[in-house]
Amino acid sequence: MQYEIRLDGHLGTRWAAWLDGLAISCESDGTTVLRGSVVDQAALHGLLQKLRDVGIPLISLTQVPSDQAFEGNRP
Amino acid sequence: MPTAACRSSRSVIRSMAVAVTGIPLLESKLHAPRRRQGVVARARLAQRLRRDVLPAVVLVSAPAGFGKTTLLTDWLAADAAVTTPTAWVSLDRRDSDPAVFWAYVLAAVRRVAGEVGADALSRLRSAPAALDAVVASLLNDLDALDDDVVLVLDDYHAVESLDVHESMLFLVEHLPGPLHLVVASRADPPWPLAGLRARGELVEIRASDLRFTAQEAQAYLNDAMGLDLAVADIGVLETRTEGWIAALQLAALSLRGRDDPAAFIAGFAGDDRFVVDYLVDEVLDRQADAVRTFLLETSILARLSAPLCAAVTGRGDTRSMLAALERSNLFLVALDDRRQWYRYHHLFAEVLRARLADEGPDRIAGLHRRAGDWFDAEGDRAEAVRHALAAGDFPRAAELVELAIPSLRQTRQEATQRAWLDALPPDVFANRPVLSLALVGARMVTGDTAGVENLLEGIERWTDPDAPAADMVVHDATEFGRLPAQAAMYRAALSLLGGDLAGTVSHAERAAALSAADDHFGRGAAAALIGLAQWADGHLEAAERQYSAAIASFERAGHLPDVLACSLGLADIQFAQGRLGAAKRTLAAGLDLGTANGPLRGTADMRIGLGELHFERNELDVAAEQLRAGVKLGDRLAFRQHASRWRVLDARLRAAGGEHAAALALLSDAERLYDTDYSPKARPVAATTARIRLAGGDVIGAERWAAEAGLTVDDDPSYLREYEQLTFARVLLAGGRPTDASGLLLRIVAGAGAGRREGNAIEALALLALAHDATGDAPQALATLEEALTRASVEGFVRVFVDAGPPMNTLLKAALRRGGRGAEHAAAVLAVGGSRPSGAQPVLVDDLSRRERDVLRLLRTDLSGPEIAAELVVSLNTVRTHTRNVFMKLGVNSRRAAVRRADELGL
Repeated sequence: MQYEIRLDGHLGTRWAAWLDGLAISCESDGTTVLRGSVVDQAALHGLLQKLRDVGIPLISLTQVPSDQAFEGNRP
Repeated sequence: MPTAACRSSRSVIRSMAVAVTGIPLLESKLHAPRRRQGVVARARLAQRLRRDVLPAVVLVSAPAGFGKTTLLTDWLAADAAVTTPTAWVSLDRRDSDPAVFWAYVLAAVRRVAGEVGADALSRLRSAPAALDAVVASLLNDLDALDDDVVLVLDDYHAVESLDVHESMLFLVEHLPGPLHLVVASRADPPWPLAGLRARGELVEIRASDLRFTAQEAQAYLNDAMGLDLAVADIGVLETRTEGWIAALQLAALSLRGRDDPAAFIAGFAGDDRFVVDYLVDEVLDRQADAVRTFLLETSILARLSAPLCAAVTGRGDTRSMLAALERSNLFLVALDDRRQWYRYHHLFAEVLRARLADEGPDRIAGLHRRAGDWFDAEGDRAEAVRHALAAGDFPRAAELVELAIPSLRQTRQEATQRAWLDALPPDVFANRPVLSLALVGARMVTGDTAGVENLLEGIERWTDPDAPAADMVVHDATEFGRLPAQAAMYRAALSLLGGDLAGTVSHAERAAALSAADDHFGRGAAAALIGLAQWADGHLEAAERQYSAAIASFERAGHLPDVLACSLGLADIQFAQGRLGAAKRTLAAGLDLGTANGPLRGTADMRIGLGELHFERNELDVAAEQLRAGVKLGDRLAFRQHASRWRVLDARLRAAGGEHAAALALLSDAERLYDTDYSPKARPVAATTARIRLAGGDVIGAERWAAEAGLTVDDDPSYLREYEQLTFARVLLAGGRPTDASGLLLRIVAGAGAGRREGNAIEALALLALAHDATGDAPQALATLEEALTRASVEGFVRVFVDAGPPMNTLLKAALRRGGRGAEHAAAVLAVGGSRPSGAQPVLVDDLSRRERDVLRLLRTDLSGPEIAAELVVSLNTVRTHTRNVFMKLGVNSRRAAVRRADELGL
């Protein structure tokens, strides 16, 4: 499943490895969008917990239809 | 300061928790971390957390780095005059296993209230699945305390087990007066807090409360941290961090020793990066390389000590390094007084780990490996496994898990075992037969039999003496020796699941043959499976022997819940054999065992079984009492059959009292909940429903059932269908087809007789007597009835005649008049036949008080009321009160009836 997660604050691409290879994109409105595939619900909740544990506020979580998915890191 | 005696008594108390549960408990998790330096007094929060007025529940719920633990630590240290004993547990992921969680909670509570929880501990050990009983026992003990106790659970979010949440919910819903619960968590616990809020019993402290105000930020930065910042700058920091304490701490660290703090603050304010990301970078960048590397490398550790860090980093100066880090307030928290163990502040550690994943991903496995080796050498297998798994070192993890399994089994840490097995990749099991068997066990317990067949085949290949064992990896030779027997047992269980009775028996017999002579549990399990298969085939005598042997083996092995499970089966077999006395003894022994040791799971079933026996003998009040007691024990203390079975008994009792509608409603539920576990489905609920319908006059409904059940008059008798066939015979009789009934019944009499199923034989004979009577063959009817009565009198079967209805009544009277064999039993049946279970308190012999017994004794004589009063030296009114109670308890309303009833009950 492809997901898009929006966070409050800019998270550098250095966090990608820790976030299991999700693409990290810092937006101009001060938020960060994580994009990528997550294996299943358990993995999704694990990911959310990681974000919770680092204290970065969660704004939104959306499932993305596969044809709109992004792969790899953005500069 | 605690005296030496106090310290040693605390360790003795903690040792009991360890001794009873067998689970090693870390001292550092059982007390609050040391207070940090440079902490700002938070008066406004202290107001809400006063120690002289403790709320029932305090919840501190906020993300990481908001100062939850610090708040609680300070709160406990303040007001030294108010010394409420406080139990503390620092939770982590491993406490998701209910056995571990409650071991810690009980140990913590017992340190401060030593007289509490001993019973709960032993219940946790013997029946870890029955958590409500464990919690209930603890709550009872706490309720009896004179002084209050505080229980703090720090980092509750680390617990991810539904079982733990449910058991905690039970605690929260039944909070005893003396207990005050304090929970710190990053997420709200899954408990209904609304009720507590509404009753004013909850104090909540949330992120918005914990954020530093500008004033508090100023106190922290300038006073505590010794900075000299302008008010405006403090304002900027406070805005940018939103009062997030961890962020302010990082900012303070970054500002120390800077020449131009304002520039830093401006830069910080103007940057969009996530606060913690920015600041940790700042802090890390200003460290010497050696320190930075040390921080990153040790971030993989949940707990740090100098020797452990030395093993992981390869440095020789770890003790001084850790001391320096703690001094410079770099997020190192000391876990004990002796400065042996530390941990990083959670937030800081997370960021460090993320850095490590980015900068040195190839180093991570090696770090975990070294940590795992160190823990293994220290004997902490659980941490060793965690690190081995994190290192992706699966062969190593597999070895550690295999060696850990006997101890996990022994200490009932089932959740932990399952989690570790699940974490191992499937291919690791291929050449590890001992580990494979553990996986088989874990799968079978949850009913997930997919792939079990393959695993067993693999195991059997490895245990084949002729097979080449070249690639096989075994770490536990003892367990390996038990594999053939164990594998055979699992195969027997699989056969049972697949309905292959012959297969079940042959595999189980093989397992028994392969079991060591002193492997009582293995032998017991094999015997129980063989017995089950034989029972399902109708070989009751053989089944009875196997079950008795299984019970004896399980008793010797000390596996008490299995003793109860087999007792239930044995009693059912004995009941089918018509041996009510033997069945009663079996159940009574099981009940004693279950009650004395828990109560254990299965105790409720013993009660219901006893109720059923009393019902057969028409001892309805006693049956009702057992039903009540059994239901009260609840589903957690019962096997799967219980839900349906007690409802059936309840229905039959109500029907006996004429409440047919209620009975049918209960039976409808009973049918829906029908689950015999693996026992033979010898008494389908639908057949019982048909009987109740007949008793209520609904012949059509009963006939409909018979048609749906596919019963015909030409059916051959078989054990599993006998109950239904007898029911069908009743339907035939009610429908005016006595000849058809006769044919069927004669075959059942022969079949049940041959199979020594005496209960069914007696019922068949009784119904056959009715059939003969209906066809006008009075002599044959009486002869048959006399046969039935004689055989019924041996063990006291009464209900079978009562349930046969009014026509039976007439026949019984005829038999009584004739005075032949069985006349006495006919009299007994007629005497009680009209009685109904009283709605009021049923009487057990013990229920009569001493005075009431005195009065009853004198009621038998022909003394008048005033004479009785004189005899007992009490007032007439007192005699009247006692007499009224005696009548009520005996379910009668005349002196003569009371005397007669007392005779029946043997008083």
